[in-house]
Amino acid sequence: MLNGREPVITIKNLVAKYGERTILNDISTAFFPSEIKVILGTSGCGKSTLLKSIVGLLKPFAGSVRIFGTEIQDQDDQETVDVLKKTGVLFQNGALLGSITVGENVALPLQMHTELSDPVIREIVRMKLSQVDLPHAIDLYPSELSGGMRKRAALARALALDPPLLFCDEPSAGLDPVTSAGLDELLLRIREVLGISVIVVTHELMSIDRIADALLFLHMGKLLYDGPYADARALREGPIFNFFERTDGHLSGIGDSGCNLNVETVR
Amino acid sequence: MGREQRQQSGGQPQTILMPAVLDRHWVEQNGAAGKRVIADAVFDFSKTEKIDSAALGYIRSLDRLCKQTGRKLVLTNITREHLSALTAWAAQDPSADSKEKKNLFVGTADAFMIFFRQATEALSVLVEMLYWGTIGVLRKQDFKRGALGEQMYQLGFKAVGIVSLLSFLIGIVLALQTAMQLRTYGAGIFLAPLIGLTMVREMGPLLTAIILAGRTGSATTAEIATMGVSEEIDALRTMGINPVQFVVVPKFWAISLTMPLLSIIATAAGIFGGYCIAIGYLDLAPSLFISELSKHIGFDDFWAGFVKSVIFSWLIIWIGAYYGLRVRGGAEAVGKETTESVVTGIFIIIIADAIFSFLL
Repeated sequence: MLNGREPVITIKNLVAKYGERTILNDISTAFFPSEIKVILGTSGCGKSTLLKSIVGLLKPFAGSVRIFGTEIQDQDDQETVDVLKKTGVLFQNGALLGSITVGENVALPLQMHTELSDPVIREIVRMKLSQVDLPHAIDLYPSELSGGMRKRAALARALALDPPLLFCDEPSAGLDPVTSAGLDELLLRIREVLGISVIVVTHELMSIDRIADALLFLHMGKLLYDGPYADARALREGPIFNFFERTDGHLSGIGDSGCNLNVETVR
Repeated sequence: MGREQRQQSGGQPQTILMPAVLDRHWVEQNGAAGKRVIADAVFDFSKTEKIDSAALGYIRSLDRLCKQTGRKLVLTNITREHLSALTAWAAQDPSADSKEKKNLFVGTADAFMIFFRQATEALSVLVEMLYWGTIGVLRKQDFKRGALGEQMYQLGFKAVGIVSLLSFLIGIVLALQTAMQLRTYGAGIFLAPLIGLTMVREMGPLLTAIILAGRTGSATTAEIATMGVSEEIDALRTMGINPVQFVVVPKFWAISLTMPLLSIIATAAGIFGGYCIAIGYLDLAPSLFISELSKHIGFDDFWAGFVKSVIFSWLIIWIGAYYGLRVRGGAEAVGKETTESVVTGIFIIIIADAIFSFLL
């Protein structure tokens, strides 16, 4: 519990593996309401795997993930579906269904999980697309949108059921700095207006500076830091400081080269 | 290693003085000699001012070789920068473990395990498809509105033209080849039951299945595989939507309903092809052709054709969905799985047809 708030997600001793390869090792953390928490780390450190484990796309090898107190199990289990309805996921490439229009994409969760009539759904879709500044894209196909627009449309779909919890996987990836800043502002506005918790996986420092309340730093599948972002920024040594200073990870000790040479003397 | 190499006697490691510029040219000239060194070695970098990637790779490969063969490679008088360059960006060779030679037994066991795993995955897709398409509907209905009608139009109606045309042409070819032989013996009257039975029991369902395996099977694999690589399947899962029920089940029902109809159309078109030959080539009376046809074709024959067409439709959609769902990678993987899906689909359909020939 943080300042008397119950966590929305609790992760205990999570171990995730792909085959024999351990990606995440003994991760324990919590995510709190109305907080933007950034999962940070170098490429391949397990950020996206952690996100997949949280939303149930990857079964934990050991440990548990609880969202709103419910453990994510079989995704066809009604209890899990009810939890998933309270979450929205913004995928790295948007993951909009290419065979249907943007409007139909945003309407999909509403059609699947509510009994609302078509006119009401259509109105909600218009509203959601306006929230992400895409009111004109309702009848366009995803292939007719730019990368940034596709992400915003995907954000509208993720927010369709007004979830109290939003996951974003690399929202800034592949976007120019202006579009990226726009998306960050959008996330901040949505958090402010809707009061939702946002969990963002990214390694874009400028984006993190703009949006992060809290930081979770992963390195080679292990948790190195979990706490307020400002405190992490105040660090003056260690791998997190090095990361922010953009020093070469391998020379500063972040990188474990796996190459142990026998060295007698160094000039 | 030429003059830069100083041999030491008495089991001492060889000390090799590295050149001032340790680059690709040096590795090309001296690299092979270094690999042949059988004793422990010391590389002296006291003169070395410059190292390029080829030299870094060479030293690291030599270090790996020494570790594998129990020898020792020592670097001395190396600058901090060069050492950093040597140790940075290195990763353990992931293929090193898998490269170890397997004996025949282990190889066979591995191949069996891979086959077993693939068979289990394929069966799991079949069970999921049948479950979510039937009793699973009582638990969940993750269908897009109008999906069944849309799929029936795409998979069924749009295939009517090609199925009828090809069946008509096959009917003509089959009838013509047969008619030439039958006319020799004055047995042209038997063309009607021969073509009729062949088309109803065999060629109608089989031709339709092969055309749909190429058309629908490939489309199903390509669609599902593309959805997989672009994370659309994951997106459905995170929205609490069952991807099998959302994507595969409408196709399953659409093909189950349209394939028998297409099969009937194909049979009729093939028989019509035979009718044209009977009238035009054998000069049979139309009424005689029809009466001979109805005399020899019974309910059992229609039933056999119907059962085949339904089973073939399930095989097509099952194989299409299995190859689509198992895709890993990008655009190239989509193409590869689609090709495999069509080849396997046609192969399995022909095997199933051969089995049905004994059963029905």
